Amino acid sequence: MRAASLVVLVTIVLPLVLSQFWAYQLGLYGLYAVAAVGVGLCWGQAGFLPLGQGLFFGLAAYLSGLAFIAFQDHLLIAVVALPFAVLVAGLLAYLIGLVVFRRPDQSGAYFSMITLALCLLAFQIATSWNSVTGGFNGLKGIPGIPGLDDFSDVYYVSAAILLVVLAFAGWLYTAPIGVLWRALAQNERRLQLFGFNTNQLKSVAFGVSGLMAGMGGAIYAPQQGLVTPQVVGFGLSADLVIWAAVGGRGSLLGPAIGALVVGSLTAQLRDTVPFWEVLMALFFIAIVLVFPKGIAGLAEPFARFLKARTSRPALTAPKSTADKPPARLTIEGIGVHVGEVTILDRLSLDFEQAGIFCVIGPNGAGKTSMFNVVSGELDAASGRIGLGDADIVGLASHRVSSLGVARKLQIPSVFPELSIADNLAIALWSGRASKLQLLDPRLRRWTSPMLRELQARYPFLASGSRKAAELSHGEQQILELSMALLTEPRVLLLDEPCAGLSPAETAAVMEIVRWAAQRLGGAIIIIEHDMSLVKELAEVVYVLHNGTLLAKGSVAAIQADPKVRAVYVGGEK
Amino acid sequence: MDPLIVTQAINVLYAVSTLAVLALGLAVIFGLLGVLNIAHGEFIMIGAYCAYITQSNGWPYLAALPLTLMICGLLGAVVEWTMIRPLYRRPFDTLVVTWGLSLLLRKIAEAIFGLGYRSLAIPLPGTVQFFGTEYPIYRLVLIALSCAVVAGLVIWYGRSRTGSQIRAMVSNPELAQAYGISVRRLAAGTFITGTCLAGLGGVMVAPLVPVQPFMGLDYVLRTFFVLIVGGLGSVPGLLSGAAVIGGFDSVVSAATNATNGYFAVLVLSILFLWLRPRGIVARG
Amino acid sequence: MTIQKQGPTRRTLLSAAAAGAAFGTLPGLIRPAAAADEFKIGLFIALSGPASLFGPTQRACAELAAEEVNKAGGILGRQIKLIPTDAGGPPAESTKSAIRLMLEEKVDLFVGSHDSATREALVATIKGKVPYIYTPVYEGGECAFNTYVLADTPEQQIRPSLTWMMKEKGAKSIYMIGDDYVWPRKCNEHAKQYIAENGGKVAAEEYVPFGAPNKFEEVVTRIKSVKPDAVLITLVGADNVNFNRTFAGFGLDKDIARLSLLLEENTLLGVGAESSKNLYSSMSYYANAPGDANKKFKQAYVAKFGDKAPQLSLIGADCYAGVYCAKELVTKAGGTNAQKCMAASEGLTIPSAAGPWIMHGRHVDKTMFLADCKGTEFDIIKTFPNVKSGDECKA
Repeated sequence: MRAASLVVLVTIVLPLVLSQFWAYQLGLYGLYAVAAVGVGLCWGQAGFLPLGQGLFFGLAAYLSGLAFIAFQDHLLIAVVALPFAVLVAGLLAYLIGLVVFRRPDQSGAYFSMITLALCLLAFQIATSWNSVTGGFNGLKGIPGIPGLDDFSDVYYVSAAILLVVLAFAGWLYTAPIGVLWRALAQNERRLQLFGFNTNQLKSVAFGVSGLMAGMGGAIYAPQQGLVTPQVVGFGLSADLVIWAAVGGRGSLLGPAIGALVVGSLTAQLRDTVPFWEVLMALFFIAIVLVFPKGIAGLAEPFARFLKARTSRPALTAPKSTADKPPARLTIEGIGVHVGEVTILDRLSLDFEQAGIFCVIGPNGAGKTSMFNVVSGELDAASGRIGLGDADIVGLASHRVSSLGVARKLQIPSVFPELSIADNLAIALWSGRASKLQLLDPRLRRWTSPMLRELQARYPFLASGSRKAAELSHGEQQILELSMALLTEPRVLLLDEPCAGLSPAETAAVMEIVRWAAQRLGGAIIIIEHDMSLVKELAEVVYVLHNGTLLAKGSVAAIQADPKVRAVYVGGEK
Repeated sequence: MDPLIVTQAINVLYAVSTLAVLALGLAVIFGLLGVLNIAHGEFIMIGAYCAYITQSNGWPYLAALPLTLMICGLLGAVVEWTMIRPLYRRPFDTLVVTWGLSLLLRKIAEAIFGLGYRSLAIPLPGTVQFFGTEYPIYRLVLIALSCAVVAGLVIWYGRSRTGSQIRAMVSNPELAQAYGISVRRLAAGTFITGTCLAGLGGVMVAPLVPVQPFMGLDYVLRTFFVLIVGGLGSVPGLLSGAAVIGGFDSVVSAATNATNGYFAVLVLSILFLWLRPRGIVARG
Repeated sequence: MTIQKQGPTRRTLLSAAAAGAAFGTLPGLIRPAAAADEFKIGLFIALSGPASLFGPTQRACAELAAEEVNKAGGILGRQIKLIPTDAGGPPAESTKSAIRLMLEEKVDLFVGSHDSATREALVATIKGKVPYIYTPVYEGGECAFNTYVLADTPEQQIRPSLTWMMKEKGAKSIYMIGDDYVWPRKCNEHAKQYIAENGGKVAAEEYVPFGAPNKFEEVVTRIKSVKPDAVLITLVGADNVNFNRTFAGFGLDKDIARLSLLLEENTLLGVGAESSKNLYSSMSYYANAPGDANKKFKQAYVAKFGDKAPQLSLIGADCYAGVYCAKELVTKAGGTNAQKCMAASEGLTIPSAAGPWIMHGRHVDKTMFLADCKGTEFDIIKTFPNVKSGDECKA
């Protein structure tokens, strides 16, 4: 709160201290800053880089300009029309996101290039469509917002919008959705395995950024009185990215600072300081290489000083929303081929709905691939996977997770830059938080009886503010396992949970597994290599070989089976 | 045959082959190293200016080649060492840092040569009778040269030991390292090859285009779209991308006008990015 | 959860000090020192962007004019101070600069050499509060209050030269190629009129996207198949260079003449000697234009700038005229009062680098030249004295 009040105070006082021209300049750059915050949201939070935000800024500007010209005799109608221009921009961004992110294998670079191409297309359309946009010379004669004639009035409108947008963004960043965005940027796969539709999350982020760019553009038109294609084009889009980077894309204020400070300084000093652009280029390169946190990073200790830290009581999470009674997992005739190679060969297994089961087999037998098919990450060419009555083969991984299948990956996979508390909270939100609840910051204080029990066993899980990356390998294994357990799944897939652990840590994990089996009452399926562990835990053992089931039975039966011995040892004894 | 059709057909061939050779450097760097080198266009610009220096000193045109290789190679090495190496796993950051680099290179070119247009005399001027129509000799030579360069690189990549080492590095860097392949040196070498190829492209097209510090910008977008449409990491991909982008643009421009050609390229690129992000020929 | 205490660390203090220092210097940036009784001219030129290659000569010519005027006593006794400002960016930036110059520097007058989109933005911003003199080639039609146009108009550039082409060179069918924006389109509108007047026909009218990376093989091939007598070129900048080189590269320059409307020295250098045969240009100034005025101008230019003199061209010479126009206008009006300036502008004589221009209807009648390109030099083959602007403002 201290920080927020300081910012508001400075904003109000500033134009009184500065000249009228600076008020105007900051007013203009404030609009760009609003769009830059959107870039920071996508890039700094959700981890993808939009290269064409000019598209949304310019679209809203043209729409707003056309509205103001159309309603110039009833300007108040035009003012009312402004939010629509903004909404159109935001909606367009959301739809583009939905369509683009839906494609599998969407590495960020492709998304960036699409946004760039769309922006160039919009620029060409704006330049060519003379009758509507006024072509290269632009849409001119746009009347101003009634009642705002003086240069400093514009400043106040821009400042107000910027503050509103910053407050909105600040809320989103502290709300669960902000945590999810940051988690997405760090480990998208892991987030999907918690039942979160990451494509939709990204689309929402992009849509919000479109809204923000639209807000800047909608005010830009009546303020400038002229909208030219440059506003839609690559120049502005590139500047927004540079300002967000230099200001500090990961922080809330960073992009805004970048736009306001760097943007206006560049305009001011470009004419007077020789080689200004060379300096900026070098500075920019330095920021990326050495100072990724940007200007905001420099101010971090100052900001920490301002932020008051209070502790608030924890809230108990509600029970899981989905009705999830224990269910049997059955794999029937699953075939998976990659090119010429058959990974899974008409694999059929079925598991009881409760108990601890181990899957073993030599390297390359298809164990992890089997898990991947179950959790929806690998496509099966044929076959069926039943979870209770439902057929889940071919479902997206987040859908499978939401049906109560949790997974712990082979290499500990948590959200390294998030705090332990946030990591655990994400697990709690999985399957329990509705979409609307993801906007409620109180959800970050959720806890559950199970979590308390886990924290009693492993006190480090309670040191909530530490980053997950600071934990040791063994601690990360336990963290990930805890997270999987917190979703209270009916089927828990553990992929070599004791890999790389010391004997003491291994014993701890075994203990949790037994405790979890009792507590959750569902099925726990473990891929393991260590036969001593298998002996300790497994009720039933499944042996896989060459993508198919070789044998199934108790530990003793498996050890005696000649087929199994042949595969492991390589011959008759 | 109608001379107009013949000429336009050769134009298409010219557009495709020059686009392929200009995209080659980018294909090498983006496809093999996963690095988004936005400064690619500036290396083309450097090649063009090297050609200009060669000509204004009265040296034979071919002397531009070693000059370009030297400068683009050196610059590529420095850039790889200082800017790219720390950022290999971070594609957005390489995009952003090479952007800063492109600004820098443009400003340096401006400082040395000024902003005016430089024109180069065409090394092989004049036209020649070709299938019933007159066509500029130099452009025909370029078509042949481009095919030769692309073919040469493909053969070298497929047959040579270094080529197979690069393939190993691309598919599994850790394993390659374990086999004693110096991944660092190979990556640096790949990057330098990419920048040199760009410079080479610049030398080739310099006599035909206005040479000025901003010229690189024209090439960056086109060549990126070629790669994205065609598919990364494979030469068939590069060629099919060049064929689609260059060919479409040329055909539409020939049939209607240049604005439609440009629109067609943009729309096509967006469609490909959306529907077939792996490109026409996905990495095998 | 414990409450963490964080006292100010050294880093915090350093950051605070830096912020304080930055803030402290801000006022210095905001309010530049005011000097005594100068006549301030806001000079909008291309310091960045695609037209920035003209920036050096624009600035140099303007500075030369200012120096000469100042030596002769300045404007109404006040010494001119030029404030070069970038107009090469998006119009919003130029608007901002104009506001700054009016509010902070309190400029007395603007001289602008930039594109029309920026001009429209500036006109809307300046609102006639101070005189605004617009100098470069343009499409006609600017009649805003207290705005004076020295630019070559389409009538001046096209009518005499195209008529000559059609009569003397016997060109009957004309192919028009230009960048797709307002200036080329307006030019072609005028051209169609003159072509009809002279009994010719339009072979085709084609545009390429403005600002896109264009190549011209397809266009040139199309021209080749249409076989016009001449090509009227309204391409600008790199497109102009690229087109001409491709045109000549395909050998079309042998039979088809070209008339380019924005072909000045820098662009011709880009086009190059091999591609400039049968290529004509028509403007109101060339570096080797005949006449005493130009001789004196060039002498003064070389004397002032020596070896480093930026290449002389129309775009720069216009700025020279712009500053002189300011002097003549304000002197005749006895001040910068808008009404007086508007009245004084009628019949005003402006000493340009190519000779005197007379202002009517806030546009100028001027001598136009038709040049043939010989290598990378212009050879002026026809002089058309006193060509009317055709764009005189009524009010």
